[in-house]
Amino acid sequence: MRVILVCAGGMSSAIAAKSLREAAEKEGLSFEVHEASTQQFEEMVKKDYDLALVAPQIRHRFDTLKPYAEGAGIPILQIAPRGYSPIGGKFLLKQIKDEAPEVFE
Amino acid sequence: MFDRIAKFFDEKLSTPMARLAEQRHLRAVRDGIVATLPIIIVASMFMVIAFLPESLPDNWALSQFITEHQFKILLPYRMSMYIMTLYAVFGMGYSLARSYDLDGLSGGILSELAFLLTIIPVMIPEATEGIIEFAEGNAEVTEFVTSVPAGFHIPMPNLGSGGMFIGILSAFIAVEIYRLTQRSGFKISMPEQVPASIARSFEALTPTLIVLLLVSTITMWLEVDVHGMVTAVITPLVSASDTLWSVLLLTFLNSFFWVFGIHGASIVGSVARPLWLVLLEQNTTAYAAGEAIPNIAAEPLYQWFIYIGGSGATLGLAIALFVAKSKYAQTLARTSFIPSLFNINEPLMFGAPVVLNPTLIIPFIFAPLINAVIAWFATDVGLINRVVAIAPWTLPGPIGAFLATGSDWRALVLNVLLILLSTLIYYPFVKIYDKQLLEEEMSEEEAEDVVFD
Repeated sequence: MRVILVCAGGMSSAIAAKSLREAAEKEGLSFEVHEASTQQFEEMVKKDYDLALVAPQIRHRFDTLKPYAEGAGIPILQIAPRGYSPIGGKFLLKQIKDEAPEVFE
Repeated sequence: MFDRIAKFFDEKLSTPMARLAEQRHLRAVRDGIVATLPIIIVASMFMVIAFLPESLPDNWALSQFITEHQFKILLPYRMSMYIMTLYAVFGMGYSLARSYDLDGLSGGILSELAFLLTIIPVMIPEATEGIIEFAEGNAEVTEFVTSVPAGFHIPMPNLGSGGMFIGILSAFIAVEIYRLTQRSGFKISMPEQVPASIARSFEALTPTLIVLLLVSTITMWLEVDVHGMVTAVITPLVSASDTLWSVLLLTFLNSFFWVFGIHGASIVGSVARPLWLVLLEQNTTAYAAGEAIPNIAAEPLYQWFIYIGGSGATLGLAIALFVAKSKYAQTLARTSFIPSLFNINEPLMFGAPVVLNPTLIIPFIFAPLINAVIAWFATDVGLINRVVAIAPWTLPGPIGAFLATGSDWRALVLNVLLILLSTLIYYPFVKIYDKQLLEEEMSEEEAEDVVFD
């Protein structure tokens, strides 16, 4: 599964991405997580992703980013705060399962 | 009680304000300026190198080489950071056009056109024979006359931060005209068989004509000095941004947003960065000219003396967490210290969490404010150099402070002292929070014991 994770500058998302990848691996799921800055998102999201995730600290930009994900035809989720930390991968994975179960099909 | 107050502030204040910063014009300014940051950062390093001899012994070959070639070393800076508005305007126009779902490239080019039309080139005629004859016999005058280039010239400062606000207005006007012509259908449309790129260039003809006529009429025919007018309006704002009060206000606002988990730096920066860049560029210009540096509160002051480790001066928090006894805090300290060292603090913000944490938000608000007061006065009385360069924000604090002040060792020391101070400020609150975590962990273990009994 290809996931695009967007934050303000594309820096902190790398940490959350790693945590998510590890949590997914533990469950035998293969996640390819790419980080994007807000500016890169519009172009990057078009490149064959299955799911878009928005970092909690830029939740005020969610409405701006949403149309781009919809244009690419993929679900977009607002990451809950506790899922966005080096040890939050398992919470984030659970959130994805709860809110966008279709991506696992 | 805390939850209710927090919810109220989040719903009524921080989230609406954050949404406001997402307004398309503000966003365009932010995008345009953010796109020029790589140029500013790299050019800043040239600035640091050009003035390195001031911090090195005179007799080193390196110092002598740099001193001798300083003019040349600074030339790339002249063509990049010194004229940063020229670059930023394109990005602003691009972003604004994209936000209206218009062609970004045309938006950027139209903005650039509108901006450049506000600047009136000067024609310098070639020296006539009479002048050359007149100068003959005086070596100084002859050298000057022969070194003055003839032809059209544009004043470079207008392309720099001095023209920033005109640049912003130009991009807004150009793209709004572009949008209007597209909306109203007042444009030259091509039949469908014409390739998109060619059709696009025809579509841009009408807005180009309107922009060109409008701006040139104002600046070249009516001879309105738009740069002078905007400078008159902006100057008080720029001076106001260089006061301790505004530093404290911006520092507080940044923390305030983060308390609710919203990226404060990006919101405060959207509004303040154009002013910060004006302050910084006035500093670099003075620095390059060897004059006294005028301003204190450009962005690097915040980056390297107020938000060490990220908003809230959280490197102190990361260090203080190492004394914690709870398992959770220990894990967090291990995983978040390295990112904190490079000023990435989201792991702490959402991991500790600091966000909506009644204990940790107290030092989170006060540590940077205290840093701000100390850094302000240290700079004001000359204990450290004023900031003259933007160093990459992911550098560890002491190195960034050293570079941003034009390689001043004292700034490095101040940065380390401020890290220690913020650690002390966070320490008692970390102790309290750690105790809460320990109690939770204990009760969880007990609960598990019960289950296994």
